Amino acid sequence: MMSAATPELTSRRIAAVEAAPRKRRITGTSVLVGGFLLLTCLAMLSPIIWTAASVTKPTDVAFLNPPVFVWQPTFDTFVDLWQTTNFYQYVINTLVVAVISTVLALVLGLPAAYALSRAPGWISTVLLVVALVFRALPRFAVVLPMYDIARSVGLYDTTFALALALVAINQPFTIWLLRNFFADIPDTLDEAAMMDGCTRFQVLRRVMIPLMGPGILTAGIFVFLFAFQEYLTATILTDVNARTVPVFIATQLGQTLPMLQQAGAAAVLFTIPAIAFAFIAQKYIVAGLNAGSVKG
Amino acid sequence: MRPSLRTHGAVALTAVAVLALSACGAGSKTTSATATQVTCDVPKPSSPTTVNVLAYNSSAIDPFTNTMVSSCSKNDYTLKHEPIDFPGQVQKTTATLAGASGTYDIVETYGFVIPQYGSQSKLAPLDDLYAKHADAYKLNDISKDMRAAMTYDGKLYALPMQAQMYIMAYRKDVFDQVGLKPPTTFEELKSAAKTIQDKAGIKYPIALPWLATADIVTSYDCILGSLGTNLTNFDTKTANFDKPQAKQALEEMLALKPYMDPQVTTFAQPAVQQQMYNGTAAIAIMFSGRMNDLTLEKNSKFSKNFAFAPPPKVAADSPKLYDTLSVDGWSIPNNTALDKDALFQMIASSVSVDASKASLPAAYPARTGMVSDSSSPYAAAANVSITSAPPAEPYPWTADVSNKITPIIANVVLGKTSADEGVTQMQQAATAAIAAAK
Amino acid sequence: MRKREYWALVAPSLVVMVSLLAIPLYRTIEWSLQRVNYGDPGTFIGLQNYTTALSDARFQRAVVFTVGLTLVVTAILLVLGYLLATAVNRLRRMRPLVLGLLLLAYVIPGLVGATMFSWLFDSNFGGPVNYFIAQLTGQDLLWFTDTWPNRVVLVLNIVWFLLPFAMLVILAGLQSVNPEVLEAAKIDGAGPFRLHWNVIIPSVRGVIGFVILISLMDVVRIFDPLVALSPQAAAIGNESIMFYIYSVAFKDGGQQLGLGSAINVLLIIIIGILLIPSIRATAREGSR
Repeated sequence: MMSAATPELTSRRIAAVEAAPRKRRITGTSVLVGGFLLLTCLAMLSPIIWTAASVTKPTDVAFLNPPVFVWQPTFDTFVDLWQTTNFYQYVINTLVVAVISTVLALVLGLPAAYALSRAPGWISTVLLVVALVFRALPRFAVVLPMYDIARSVGLYDTTFALALALVAINQPFTIWLLRNFFADIPDTLDEAAMMDGCTRFQVLRRVMIPLMGPGILTAGIFVFLFAFQEYLTATILTDVNARTVPVFIATQLGQTLPMLQQAGAAAVLFTIPAIAFAFIAQKYIVAGLNAGSVKG
Repeated sequence: MRPSLRTHGAVALTAVAVLALSACGAGSKTTSATATQVTCDVPKPSSPTTVNVLAYNSSAIDPFTNTMVSSCSKNDYTLKHEPIDFPGQVQKTTATLAGASGTYDIVETYGFVIPQYGSQSKLAPLDDLYAKHADAYKLNDISKDMRAAMTYDGKLYALPMQAQMYIMAYRKDVFDQVGLKPPTTFEELKSAAKTIQDKAGIKYPIALPWLATADIVTSYDCILGSLGTNLTNFDTKTANFDKPQAKQALEEMLALKPYMDPQVTTFAQPAVQQQMYNGTAAIAIMFSGRMNDLTLEKNSKFSKNFAFAPPPKVAADSPKLYDTLSVDGWSIPNNTALDKDALFQMIASSVSVDASKASLPAAYPARTGMVSDSSSPYAAAANVSITSAPPAEPYPWTADVSNKITPIIANVVLGKTSADEGVTQMQQAATAAIAAAK
Repeated sequence: MRKREYWALVAPSLVVMVSLLAIPLYRTIEWSLQRVNYGDPGTFIGLQNYTTALSDARFQRAVVFTVGLTLVVTAILLVLGYLLATAVNRLRRMRPLVLGLLLLAYVIPGLVGATMFSWLFDSNFGGPVNYFIAQLTGQDLLWFTDTWPNRVVLVLNIVWFLLPFAMLVILAGLQSVNPEVLEAAKIDGAGPFRLHWNVIIPSVRGVIGFVILISLMDVVRIFDPLVALSPQAAAIGNESIMFYIYSVAFKDGGQQLGLGSAINVLLIIIIGILLIPSIRATAREGSR
């Protein structure tokens, strides 16, 4: 029933980035390009490197002007952050919001994306345009009324409300992305399955979703990433109970030592999952960005 | 595909396990460092209750906050306090008091905001509760003047915990090196700064909190107060910016500018503290609650070199010091859902005799007779400062007037507006604000 | 696909989007026509909020600044993104490592990245950038007090976290360039500049369009970086429209919620204008 070639298609999108260019020699151009890349990498990493340095310095030299470049490394700040603030709780909140968002976004988005990819009529076009419009909305236009509603309904300052808000806000992107992945799977498969007696739902569940493994992972990683990065919505919809790490860091910007250094430690700790995303999940992120932009 | 999913799953599970294990120790030292265990016998609530406390972090406020959280979290009450900076507290106070229900049950307030929240009935008047519990918690030992500072229209809206006044911190080693004594007038301050610039190599010796969106108006108000003038006149309901002192105050600020870091209009008090920690400034004048940090070895290698004095007068014949007296206290929002009696007992415990004693040397407690000249490195300076500060202006429009003139003062200091034009604009804005106040 | 199945599949998502996006949007429009505060029913005042907003100098400054910032950042992203993508395209084994290092800036939350950025430039807190500039040129740039240095910092930060995205998308486009066309052009004697300008760039038009679309859309709505990098934004004329909305409609407890909502609507219109070409392209693509 399944042709051997088709499971390759979605994987191929992901592997596309790893395609090898032609062989080349070490030339003057290579040196220039290498130098350019090295400088760029250093420049792009400099804020992270400097902050990591600042939080391993003893408190009295962490933010010293003029800056020190040689110091006795210490992890006291991380220990202080962990023990004297509710940082642990903020991390849990951020994780909970991200996980709920991801699960809900996929549950809602998969059927819709499947339908949009299989029925290219004017309705789908309209819905896609509407999705683009929603994606382009300024967040305040949506989040401020959510704040009002959440307060009156009693859901203000809960991780669930924040997760739900993020699901809705990221739904257009999710559907867009998944639709492009679905479009890679030829609908001859659907037809074959339906001729064997499957309903559309069964086709989705039994045929499409197993093939969409990488696509689902990509969309899930993106929604997780967006939830993890969110500041604006989180600052409006949370207060004490559902505070997330970016909101916490923002509340510490006007502190003095040693709390300011602890905010830096929080920032560095939050970079660690970012590193995981950038390296381990790299090919999914790349595939996701490509799926949104390249035709076929 | 499945094997890599499994690996990812394993990684995720390990991460979760690590997090769960390291939950132990999280937040364990929250209150121990500056908390004291005091009596807090609040009757048990009908069901487990969480009390949310809003208070910014500073070495002077933290002892009271932490004492309250650690002493009263028992008997089915859990007190929660999240760290937050001062601008954050200001924003969250507005937000929580705005509606019919709010997040916080106890909020830290200070004299400046009492008239506006009192007149808007956002805070619960505490007179009855005060009378009920005064004997048990010895509340009558709290300075009468400070209680008056937290009173509006005859009602007490906050229980005072401490006073904060301007203190001048300076580098004793630098002063000794160039042969200076703490300045007592702005002229002396400027000439001391010049000497330090020339002989000690510090480019911008003076550090004042002049944040263009907030603190700068406090500094202006203190200069005006030192010259013997208020922002507004309560009896005639007019603003005082048409008086010569208003323009003179602006000119005094401009005269100080060359001795201060060019980025001073982005500096709130923490940034001024940092200048002192760095040794890039030698003289700072700001609230006493920020003084203790300067003496902590952890924060700066100059911690042993700081000395403290009362702030200077603007001119030798000025009636008052360049100074202000702010009282910090605990208030109960009107829109809290919890039992106000229980909340009052919690805040009363946090300002008990033991708690107040334990807040030294960082804070200047509101209880009378607590601060002798040897209570803290800056106590002697504080005791002088507190007696010669300009009077407060507890009028319903003061906060609004201050907010309206802030950007104008900033523009004058930044050189975008002339002093003459500045006072004209300030007079207009203040007159409108007074008229708009109920 | 039968209509019934179609709507059954699309319904859950549609319900969530309508109830959590369309209804709040409607509420914002409603609020923009009222003088209102959170929890209040609000009083109808017609288009007064719009006239107030449009004649407000602060709003006009915010619009000019935001649109200018958007165009500058988009241009820089295209140029740098293209250069970087071309450079990365030549890598083989090192590519995952380099991509990973570059992706970090994109993955870190905007606010956290901006905070780290601010410490690089804040001389009072030991910012090394100031230190090196002072060592090399003796100049002291006031990154947070002066308008244009602050704009430079903002542009640098926004380019910093959007560059990986731009580069990756253009990289993907570069890989689908037809190698035969490239070979043919080289045989015809085209130099490197000609090669890029006349052959490669036209064939990656699609991804460049996509980068422009996303960049326009995201930078015009910029908010997070200003919290850390430009707390004095209003005073120095570097306030973005979203930052202004936050100030007006939330920070003071929603005292001017109606005005803030009107500005939200005006921002939607501005975004719409910027995106008209892209919406047309989407409509065309959606019907393939």
